Amino acid sequence: MTTQSILREKPVTVFEKELARIEAQVSSLKSRCQEHPSDLQSRIRLVYRMFHQATLTGKMAQLEELETVLREVIERFGPKEDLCLLKANLDFRLHRLPEVRHDLEMAPLLSSRFEARILVADLTFQEGQYHATRSALEELISENPTWDTVARLAYWTSKLGDPEEADRFYLQAEDELTAKQMLSYAWLELQRGMLDFNRGRYADAWTHYRTAEASYPGHWHTAEYFAELFAAEGNFKEAEALLLDVIRRTSRPEIQQALGELYLYMDRTEEAEPLFDSALSAYLSSVQRGDVHYFHHLADLYADARQEPREALRWAQKDFEMRPNYGTQSALAWALYRNNSIAESLKYMNLALASGVRDPVIFSTASELLWAAGETEKSLFFADIALKINPQHKNYRMHH
Amino acid sequence: MADHNDPNAVNHIFSDIDYSPADLYDLFGWPTSDGQNVVFALTFASTPAAGVLDPDLLYRLLLTSHPRVAWPHGDNVSLESALGYFDAVKDKYLGELRTAEIRVTVKTNSRVILKFLGFPCGNFSTEVDANRVATIPTPDGQTIQAFIGGRDDAFFNDLTGFFRSINYAPQFYHVPHTMTEARELPIPKTLLELEGNDLFNYRDDMPEWGYTQLDGTTPKLDLPPGPWTWKGDKFKKDANGNFRFVYDGRDCRAGQNCNALVFEIPHSFITPSVQANRLVNAWGESWVLKAAHKVVSIPDDPSWVNHPWPVVREKEEDDELKKYKLVDTDGQPFADAALSEREDDRQLGANNFWLGPHFIKRLAHLGWGFGPSISALGLKSSFDHNNSPVSVYKTYDLVATAFPKVAKTLFQPLNMPDSSWNPKGLPIPLRRPFEIFIPNVCAVDMDTSGTWPFGRRLEDQVATRFLSMFLDMDAELNGKKYHIELLSDQALWDSAPIVPKTPPNPLHNDKPFLDSFPYLAEPWLDKW
Repeated sequence: MTTQSILREKPVTVFEKELARIEAQVSSLKSRCQEHPSDLQSRIRLVYRMFHQATLTGKMAQLEELETVLREVIERFGPKEDLCLLKANLDFRLHRLPEVRHDLEMAPLLSSRFEARILVADLTFQEGQYHATRSALEELISENPTWDTVARLAYWTSKLGDPEEADRFYLQAEDELTAKQMLSYAWLELQRGMLDFNRGRYADAWTHYRTAEASYPGHWHTAEYFAELFAAEGNFKEAEALLLDVIRRTSRPEIQQALGELYLYMDRTEEAEPLFDSALSAYLSSVQRGDVHYFHHLADLYADARQEPREALRWAQKDFEMRPNYGTQSALAWALYRNNSIAESLKYMNLALASGVRDPVIFSTASELLWAAGETEKSLFFADIALKINPQHKNYRMHH
Repeated sequence: MADHNDPNAVNHIFSDIDYSPADLYDLFGWPTSDGQNVVFALTFASTPAAGVLDPDLLYRLLLTSHPRVAWPHGDNVSLESALGYFDAVKDKYLGELRTAEIRVTVKTNSRVILKFLGFPCGNFSTEVDANRVATIPTPDGQTIQAFIGGRDDAFFNDLTGFFRSINYAPQFYHVPHTMTEARELPIPKTLLELEGNDLFNYRDDMPEWGYTQLDGTTPKLDLPPGPWTWKGDKFKKDANGNFRFVYDGRDCRAGQNCNALVFEIPHSFITPSVQANRLVNAWGESWVLKAAHKVVSIPDDPSWVNHPWPVVREKEEDDELKKYKLVDTDGQPFADAALSEREDDRQLGANNFWLGPHFIKRLAHLGWGFGPSISALGLKSSFDHNNSPVSVYKTYDLVATAFPKVAKTLFQPLNMPDSSWNPKGLPIPLRRPFEIFIPNVCAVDMDTSGTWPFGRRLEDQVATRFLSMFLDMDAELNGKKYHIELLSDQALWDSAPIVPKTPPNPLHNDKPFLDSFPYLAEPWLDKW
């Protein structure tokens, strides 16, 4: 598949049809809610449709609008379970972990519900309680093996276990889905493709990504994965075109950052800078509004693209305090390393490694830190493992 | 860039569930007047629209024909004999019984493929237009009539009244999907309003409460915080001493459409031994294509499309079904709503024999609600409620405890109002509830008119007939034994101390049925 085949003018895609349908529903429900202010059913339907719309478009402004409406509905009608559950999901997406717990406690019995327990498992994973997460997921699956619960176990296994087993779990999750859930199916195919990508199996990754596109044509999210794979293979032009298209469609700052990083990778520094400026501006505006979900992007951008290690450390520290997991530990270790705090950097890297994570990028980072600390043997050991897992782990990547 | 595992970002989560074409409504079945053919009509939600079919769906109409079997235990009614019967049904359906099926897949919104599998003449397939009557010649020289498409929904029923009788909260309150304990609220089920029952009694200020409106919305209230209890001790009466009926007799499906599969099939096509096999059992199933098979572009197998027959059944059918997930089943009316409590894992079709013990407990639970209501109206109930003056909320953990209470309800023959159901005057035993609901099939007796419970004719008011199970069929009113149409008799309600003075459910469909195939009325325009 070529970029042109993805980008060229096509009939309306499934994604576009779905989005148009949801937009029409949101519009109609907004009208109804204005005409019938006390109609709780319509308001609940509205906020759920708005959530779906925002996740489809990837536009932060729509999530923010949803949050405003959701707060109003909860204030007016009280903490209904479905409203609190939606708010908890929204807060989780925005990395507001303490608020997720608070949301789940707003309705008396909510935290004991199956759907809430899934979210708590997500929380504990983010908080670095891996064994508790695994146990919780296994228990949930034994009660009801919903596709999304099995997918969570697959993700856990992909990070902390055997990728082959993870793929089997993803396959199991796929088997639960019907033709009415093609968006979810496409998402699972992307995860399976990422499993291959993370092991340098690009041909297999392509197969899954193409299946994702065929399952749910036209989604920018799939294009993002295509772009990463093109870039990893050295097809920078294709990757660039796709990322520009995703930016045009979504305005997502993290994609701007990703394209900037691609330009850096291609030694087109001048083209990267405006993208970093734009992404940074969006991240900082978000922080000024009290949001926390761009902390890790700030740490990342300051550490490498902008090479402002003190800022990188600041945001990495904040993110770690909020979500003490191998990802934030590793990012903090990297930021400390950038600040020449090698010993302390190793402390956090050791925490990340102690999690049992099997990630070639983290192993590669560990190798670099250990080398700087003079621990040559250990450094080579981790470099070797990273290479064994993914011989191509130094290639361009967006998702980690 | 971080990538958190967040399936909910792509999941249609929680309170956001659309109507589904996999939602089966009803299965009707009756013999034609000459007794040669049997008609089956399986109805389901008309989405995307009436007359427009969903290509991701597969429907099955499963059929088997066998002799009429008499209850072998005579008047011996015991828990052991009941459980023995359930076991025998299980052995039959898991063992020697071989079912045939008509399988319907949707080629396009307006074109369907019909596969006839497992019938004595061999397997074959054909393709027909939706929304048109098709005449299909069979390999053995017979003719099947088929209609697949949009129709008026043939169900006529005060669904809201039924939900009020069983305290089904989601019809009246905003009940989040997560709150599974707040579906049937734990207060007595009842046919008559309970004094002080603020949770479900009719409200003058909200006459449409719980009734779905033409715009698709349903006026509901905010569910009060629990515990949901009723502490009264009597039925509610107005100043004139009248009870208040939980039903008002309106047709909640009036003006609504469905999609339907309708077949008129020669009995001799289903079985070579029509004289011996006087029963035709049927049930319907809906299946949805699995996502993985939606992606793969599967060309139509030319053997299905171009060559009407024959096709290979054994492997083909399994391979095809493996691509789908079973969603819903339908055999007997109210088997799901009243007896299986709509649980997804109880969608078993005919194979619901394992629900036998649950069926006994559930029927006893309903009996404690409906039995005292019937007695309060001066009628005799088949349920032993210890002369309770008012409905009681009672559940059972043990079948053995429930059984004595419900034995008569389960085993009494259901009297018919007259002899028209048995036009040949044959010695056909009356049906009893336990054999009506297990197995969960529409069992058409080819020697009868096919009126419920000897099948199900379109004009049968089955919701009211279902309630008649709780009447004592040994009792008499005005010199005539109680029967399954008694509660549809307007004269009964005219003389009863109750308002509104109406049978619980409408007596007729909102649109007249047709005299000829496909029998169900034309769909309403501009309705989905």
